[in-house]
Amino acid sequence: MAASPQTVDSLTQREPGWWGVIADFCRRRPLGALGGGIILFMVFLAASANLIAPYDPLETDYGAMLAAPSAAHWLGADAFGRDVLSRIIYGSRTALMVGLGASLIGASLGAVIGVASAYFGGRVDLITQRVVDVFFAFPVIILALAVVAILGAGAGNVIIAIATPMIPRCARVVRSSALSVRQMPYVDAARASGFGHRRIILRHMLPNVMAPILIMATAFLGEAILLEASLSFLGLGVQEPVAAWGLMLRGAAVQFAESAPWMAIFPGLAISLAVFGFNLFGDSLRDALDPRLRTQ
Amino acid sequence: MGYYVLKRLLAMIPTLLGVAVLIFLLLRVVPGDVVEARFLAQGSQFVSQDLMNAERQKLGLDQPLWKQFTTWMWGLARFDFGVSMWTGGSIAEEIKLRFALSLQLAIMASTVATLLAIPLGILAAMKQDTWVDYTVRVFSIAGLAMPSFWLGILLILVMLTAFKWIPPMVFTPIWVDPWQNLAQLVWPALAIGYRYSAVGTRMMRSAMLEVLREDYIRTARAKGLWTKLILSRHALKNAILPVLTVISLEFAFLLGGLVVTEQVFNLNGLGMLFVEAIARRDYTLTQALVMLIATFFLFVNFFVDIAYAWIDPRIRYS
Repeated sequence: MAASPQTVDSLTQREPGWWGVIADFCRRRPLGALGGGIILFMVFLAASANLIAPYDPLETDYGAMLAAPSAAHWLGADAFGRDVLSRIIYGSRTALMVGLGASLIGASLGAVIGVASAYFGGRVDLITQRVVDVFFAFPVIILALAVVAILGAGAGNVIIAIATPMIPRCARVVRSSALSVRQMPYVDAARASGFGHRRIILRHMLPNVMAPILIMATAFLGEAILLEASLSFLGLGVQEPVAAWGLMLRGAAVQFAESAPWMAIFPGLAISLAVFGFNLFGDSLRDALDPRLRTQ
Repeated sequence: MGYYVLKRLLAMIPTLLGVAVLIFLLLRVVPGDVVEARFLAQGSQFVSQDLMNAERQKLGLDQPLWKQFTTWMWGLARFDFGVSMWTGGSIAEEIKLRFALSLQLAIMASTVATLLAIPLGILAAMKQDTWVDYTVRVFSIAGLAMPSFWLGILLILVMLTAFKWIPPMVFTPIWVDPWQNLAQLVWPALAIGYRYSAVGTRMMRSAMLEVLREDYIRTARAKGLWTKLILSRHALKNAILPVLTVISLEFAFLLGGLVVTEQVFNLNGLGMLFVEAIARRDYTLTQALVMLIATFFLFVNFFVDIAYAWIDPRIRYS
């Protein structure tokens, strides 16, 4: 068949640059763009926390104990007289760090395991999938709590604790995509050229399952922020006096909920908004990258 | 079918064995043990090594790992959970009431999720791309974003300010005083159910949209059937299955996964017991809890698969 005018057109057309892609994404998926805007805002808060926060998040001021929202403390102060707004702004650092760290570790380790499982097939695949089954039988928070018990609390360990339950979940999804990639002629070609397993897995197969990995990673981000908040709320995550949203809801916030509701309301709003942003963005990204997954 | 059921049941055994090995080893890696934890709790930090070793011997902690593991497995095979290392009481007794609470909460939360997801999903699909659709979608995405423990705090706060009333904080089993029991559990069930309805709502909406485009719906329309009848008889029956699956799979996780919400409402469910047990390094109790939660999860999965084949005649397992 002769090339249709359309194909010729698309050949001569200039590749849209990064800005073009972004503009297109915003126009087609306004909700996703809203999510992206929330994420950017959060990144901005985290990056410039020391410039824009009105107070030091750790500074205690007993004169302002449980102070209601006012011109001095926009969102009020907590039981130690610490400024709630400043702690929320600094808390975005913790949330982003834990969220990004956990989903990066979880998605990348899971992806490598998933691709390797699909590539080797046979007994390796069988054993890997049975191990994944075992991890699936644990509720996410139970597994995270067990890891925290081993490693101890603190931001770094929380990242590992949250990444752990994500690894098998990502491995399962990536494996199913990698199974079809394995059938591709270029994988055979790579084997025929005598490349090692590691090179084929990392250089040939992994880049071709990037779409599901990216989708899983963004989906994990919101979940990781929620999990971090949950663990911190239980007192098993990030430790005082570090500013973290889940931690702000713990203890005094519940105790004084009636007389000082701002302590309980605003950090929760911050968590919800952040997760909302990541979910919106993740959903649109999924639709844009993989229309097949739309119904899931 | 009978063969399939048997195969599925047998396949659970290696998975459960894997869960057992995993939690057994994980617990042994946790620093400290129950003897140390108990002496620390009693405030006696400087206990002689001999005394601690004697205590360990009593609990069987001095045995080699493989022996501890086989003893535990032998007990499990006879449905004997053993005794708690911390209290010395029977684990079955200790878990009983907590299990009742967690199970009831999981059932109530799933009911809330189902009652929200199905009508909202249908509504959004019927009014696709109108403000109704957008409102439902934002409502469900917001539910997914709000931590249910925070929603719980807000619920308590609202009741406190509006009605000067808070839910009872001591658990009463439903067979003792149903009113007291429901007054306490309805609120956490609402907070959790709202969150878990989100996935179901979106599923219901997309399944409904898909089904409404099928040929047999067009045929039904062409026959001049009422919209109501088409919806209930033709569309809903085909669209509802994946939604029920998603909700039942989430139900399987609710049994042990509600740690934080339990904390907010001061409920002593399985989640809180797990946190407590692991902090006390109570190996036997933690292990029993994990096995219980995992078995429950596997069985719910199993029943969902079987129910699928039973409800949908197109699916036949061989």
